[in-house]
Amino acid sequence: MPLIEAHGLTKQFRQAVKEPGLVGSLKHFFTRQYKDKLAVDHIDLSVEAGESVAYLGPNGAGKSTTIKMLTGILVPTSGSLIVDGLVPHEKRQQNARKMGVVFGQRTQLWWDIPVIESFNLARDMYEIPAARYKANLAEFTELLGLAEFMNIPAGKVSLGQRMRADLCMALLHEPKLLYLDEPTIGLDIAVKDSIRKFIHRLVEERGTTVMLTTHDLGDIEDICNRIVIIDSGKIIHDGGLADLKDNYARDRVIHFQLARPPASMEPICAGLPACDLHADGLSLSVRFDRFEFAAGEIAAAVMPHVEVIDFRIDEPEVEDLIRRVYLGQLSLAAPEPTADTPESAVAAEA
Amino acid sequence: MRGLNKYFSIAKASLEVIFVYRAGFAFNMIGTVFYVVAMFYLWQTIFLGKPGALGGFTWPEMKAYLIVAFILNSTMTWFDEWTMGSDIREGRVATDLARPIDFQLKRFAEAIGPVPFELVSALGIGAVVAVVFGGIALPADPVHLALFIVSAALATLLKFAIIYCVSMVAFWTTGMEGVQNARMAVQNIFSGALIPLVFFPEWLRGFASVLPFQGMISTPALTYLGAMDGPTTAFMIGTQAVWVVGLMLFGRLLWRSAIKAVTINGG
Amino acid sequence: MAVKVAIATRLRRARWLTYIYFRCLGQQMKAILAYEADFVILLISAGLVQITGFLFIWTVFQRIPDINGWTFWQVVMMYSLIFITEGVGSLFFEGTWRVSRLVYNGNFDQILVRPVSPIVQVLAGAVGFNGLGNIVTGGALLAISLGNVPAQWTPGRLLMLVILIISAATIRVAINLATSACAFWIKTPWSMVPMFVHQLGEFAKYPITIYSMAVQAMVVVAIPFAFVSFFPTAYLFNMESWSAIGLLTPLVAVYCMFMAVWIFRVGLRRYESTGH
Repeated sequence: MPLIEAHGLTKQFRQAVKEPGLVGSLKHFFTRQYKDKLAVDHIDLSVEAGESVAYLGPNGAGKSTTIKMLTGILVPTSGSLIVDGLVPHEKRQQNARKMGVVFGQRTQLWWDIPVIESFNLARDMYEIPAARYKANLAEFTELLGLAEFMNIPAGKVSLGQRMRADLCMALLHEPKLLYLDEPTIGLDIAVKDSIRKFIHRLVEERGTTVMLTTHDLGDIEDICNRIVIIDSGKIIHDGGLADLKDNYARDRVIHFQLARPPASMEPICAGLPACDLHADGLSLSVRFDRFEFAAGEIAAAVMPHVEVIDFRIDEPEVEDLIRRVYLGQLSLAAPEPTADTPESAVAAEA
Repeated sequence: MRGLNKYFSIAKASLEVIFVYRAGFAFNMIGTVFYVVAMFYLWQTIFLGKPGALGGFTWPEMKAYLIVAFILNSTMTWFDEWTMGSDIREGRVATDLARPIDFQLKRFAEAIGPVPFELVSALGIGAVVAVVFGGIALPADPVHLALFIVSAALATLLKFAIIYCVSMVAFWTTGMEGVQNARMAVQNIFSGALIPLVFFPEWLRGFASVLPFQGMISTPALTYLGAMDGPTTAFMIGTQAVWVVGLMLFGRLLWRSAIKAVTINGG
Repeated sequence: MAVKVAIATRLRRARWLTYIYFRCLGQQMKAILAYEADFVILLISAGLVQITGFLFIWTVFQRIPDINGWTFWQVVMMYSLIFITEGVGSLFFEGTWRVSRLVYNGNFDQILVRPVSPIVQVLAGAVGFNGLGNIVTGGALLAISLGNVPAQWTPGRLLMLVILIISAATIRVAINLATSACAFWIKTPWSMVPMFVHQLGEFAKYPITIYSMAVQAMVVVAIPFAFVSFFPTAYLFNMESWSAIGLLTPLVAVYCMFMAVWIFRVGLRRYESTGH
């Protein structure tokens, strides 16, 4: 049985329709007009134990709303959701014992008290047996380098330190499931790297199931074996990184390094009518659809007209790919994602 | 005059803030009405049980006293130790120091900005309460009304000067909530906000008379009622003015020495 | 047998929650005690507020023998009960005043992802040390006014005194908790509704017989502040027509707490967090 199973999961927010100002508030009080906003729109999602899932989407796509339903913070409007045999919002506290949460923008640590005291409070709240608490704390302190700021209040440590401490706190009770919402936002590269390594190790060694939302593609490549993309409340991709590339990445770019600037571009262009050519001094690049041309065909079309010293082929970066998914710039064989989302207003939310 | 334009703008901006937070303002205002209404019922019961004057007050005069106290207490509520204290503590005053403006004047502009709005609201609420409780005594004559307006203006200045001085404590402590509560407790009893000072026994009245707080409620309210004779009125309003000037200057002195101390301490 | 086990489980759960509550509260206290000067200032200011309040009542009673048949020490007792219960609210349950901001900022999320009752977490969410000042001065005023109660202090009456004080504090905290839950409906960064209702407590400082029927109905039925001060005082001083109602205070406390928890739970289901 999957660890997370959602069917037709939907969250609709009611927004008051009111004019600005006191008069507007008064009017609203009597007219009670609302506009419905579908933040998550009938999604089906199934996650097996041990998977590490990157949950991606542009701002306002419904990522956080989904995570908040999974953690029991929000009550779904409709659909079913079972996490490890429990309905999260009904058995919120039981669900909470089995999960760890790290919100990059918010800390779970108590602001005014030393980090170690926050951990001790977590021990009591999660009823962690003393021996396991001690062992876990020692291990995480070592791996995350927490010792130097253990006795400083959370409000006074740096963002990177806080993030590491938050991770530790989320894991002290050995949760089956770890939700990470933008865990590396605002951190420097060294800290990002250590956090990614740590999570990777967690997945490998402890078999913790990880669900991660991020805007940083480095997080995905280092941690996740599955990518789910949500846009306007609907899941538009669910599969591995390679699937994503296969489905969406039809474009390739060949860069030629030339001995001399081309005398004229016209014959080359004539030979490659369906491609996008770009020449700049001694470099020439050709963007082509790999389902229509083979790279060799492009080279064969270019070579007769110029003297090529060197060339290389660019595969699309995942980052670029996902950016284009977000922007709705995709042309692909996979099901058209944006055509049937009439609630495009959803995308306007913050 | 041109030099004052910038302070006028600051006051205007400060007034606009109240409109942004009008819901909070309205709730605050209605909350204080409960207090006034409770006081009205209390005094009504006391006066009904004992016909005639009490401490020299008739019931209509007492009602007028309570309304005047309410209105004066309802002005300049957005300027307090907490706001200014957090500006000092979080270093926001540093930007003020870098500007070609007078710090005390700027603070005064901020404090006075919302006063017209507070005044209109308080007058409205006061009028309703007064009507519900069967009307209040009106000023004895136009002269007393004019003197009352002067005295009320001085009372507002005095409130500013006191809060300004107390706020300087923020240079030494972060506990502005407690400091503010303490100031308000002392002010409430010695300004005559809770009860006219004439009700006090001799020793307590003597104590109140040497403090500046009586100028905040008691002096303007008694002026309104014409309860003091000519020379006494003049003396009391003069006392108000002296306290205003003295505390304003004292505030400037405190500010200057505090800034110096902070700079030396390596701010 | 099954019932016995269920009760035992519940009791264990309650004991654990109490422990967690005090653990959280203890941490908050430690954090505040780090600012020693603030702590002292808060205590002193709370004491000052009450002394001036007492001075007011005392001054009034210098001129009149009683208010509607209520004497000086009776009014002082009402007054002290209002302040003691307010002190208990600040010192132990100040967290209710933080709910508005937590909900407004979406920081209530943090409370919901922990395996502990949100209400317990809210109640233990902050400490107001001014409450200690209120409890001490209010307690002193209560003690003196109790000394002026004409009746004999039998063990039964002493027990009732304790029950009344606990009930009064419970009512106060329940009102705070219920109004704090308004944050789930009305989103503002300040505790607007709680403050508003809190101000209604002004009416409970004096005998409610001085008010019109509408005001009386408000503080007896709608928001039962009268059971915090007036009715307990009436019982302790054996005020004929009112003392029997004073015996209802514990029931009112249970009812208030029940309603508060219910309102809070309903509100919780409406919680929408922020930034979807």
